[in-house]
Amino acid sequence: MGCSFPVLIVIIIIVLAVGVVSLLSGALGKAIVGDVGLPDIFTVDAPHVQLPAEEIGHIGPITITNTLIASWITIVVLVALAWAVTHRIKLIPSRLQSLLEFAIEWLLNLCTDVAGEKYGRRFFPIITTIFLFVIMNSWLSLVPGFGSITYTVAEHGEEHVMPLLRGANTDINFTLALSIVSFIFVCYFGIRYSRLLFFKQFFNGGRFIRGHGLLFRGKVKAGFGSIGFGIIDMFVGFLELISFFIRLVSFAFRLFGNMLGGEILILMMLFLMPYLLAVPFYGLELLVGAIQALIFGGLTLVFVTMAVTLHEHEEAH
Amino acid sequence: MDKRLAALGMLGVGFFVAGSIILGVVGGNWLDSKLNSEPLWLIVGLLLGIVVAFYGVYAMLRPFLKDKQDKGNS
Repeated sequence: MGCSFPVLIVIIIIVLAVGVVSLLSGALGKAIVGDVGLPDIFTVDAPHVQLPAEEIGHIGPITITNTLIASWITIVVLVALAWAVTHRIKLIPSRLQSLLEFAIEWLLNLCTDVAGEKYGRRFFPIITTIFLFVIMNSWLSLVPGFGSITYTVAEHGEEHVMPLLRGANTDINFTLALSIVSFIFVCYFGIRYSRLLFFKQFFNGGRFIRGHGLLFRGKVKAGFGSIGFGIIDMFVGFLELISFFIRLVSFAFRLFGNMLGGEILILMMLFLMPYLLAVPFYGLELLVGAIQALIFGGLTLVFVTMAVTLHEHEEAH
Repeated sequence: MDKRLAALGMLGVGFFVAGSIILGVVGGNWLDSKLNSEPLWLIVGLLLGIVVAFYGVYAMLRPFLKDKQDKGNS
């Protein structure tokens, strides 16, 4: 290592000092050694966890919540990034440009790998939007100071202090809206490319009806067999229908649960042992944000690919 | 499509099991309150939900199971 000996000593002393202060000022240390009377700025209050997003104000009939403001900021950041890179594209890219080029290229490759050349480019814009929006939401809410800006609302003579910003992924309304977007996206492309097959996977009564026809024509054995398989067909279609709608719920709750859980985890770690213990969990949350974005985008891509390639499965049987 | 990506779809299996059982219970409860036949439809709905859940998981897993069997035989 390039550090000289005195520098190393100073670094070790600083880390030790931070460790001691963080142990003494947190709830964990207070439980072990008791209150040593540190000044107020070192102590951390117990986190106040609230499941629904806090209301900041109203514009007409629309309620403005802190998660909504955070999602606007995400949009602004994404648009600003895109503008900064694309308004003057260089042949030899700058660092920012090559970073975004890498991200976009990687996503395009993912889309064409999964969905094939024909559909990949069509699905790419929406998958990329979902991915970038979710990942930017979760990463922006990890920026230091994001949740520290507070806003006070006087209500019924009481003053409520609430964070002005809160990661949009921690609001069930946002994740539900995003999963509805992906649901409609799957339905639209499924109906457009698979036509009637898209509905046939849910309501598959063909063999059941044909069985009755066979019975009337006197082929009793074949008729009953066909009716039996037809009932199984309809049951499988019913299963598909249920799992299709449960997907909507699972998309929304997976993202919401992971993101809210991460937020609460960091708050609790900050309360238990400030400064030091939260750092590894910040790293973990960076990873979780990226994985959840990848899962949301990737699953949408997988399901839309399944929906448009229904006829291939039909031929394979 | 890549088999590993198809396996990504398995992420929803837990939600499918929970959802189909909850749907059966809620539907049975609703029918009971309409027909005043207390625990009958609740139990029927619960059993139906469990059957749907288990058969659904089996149907989702079947492509992967078949693949493994083919490899084992050859």
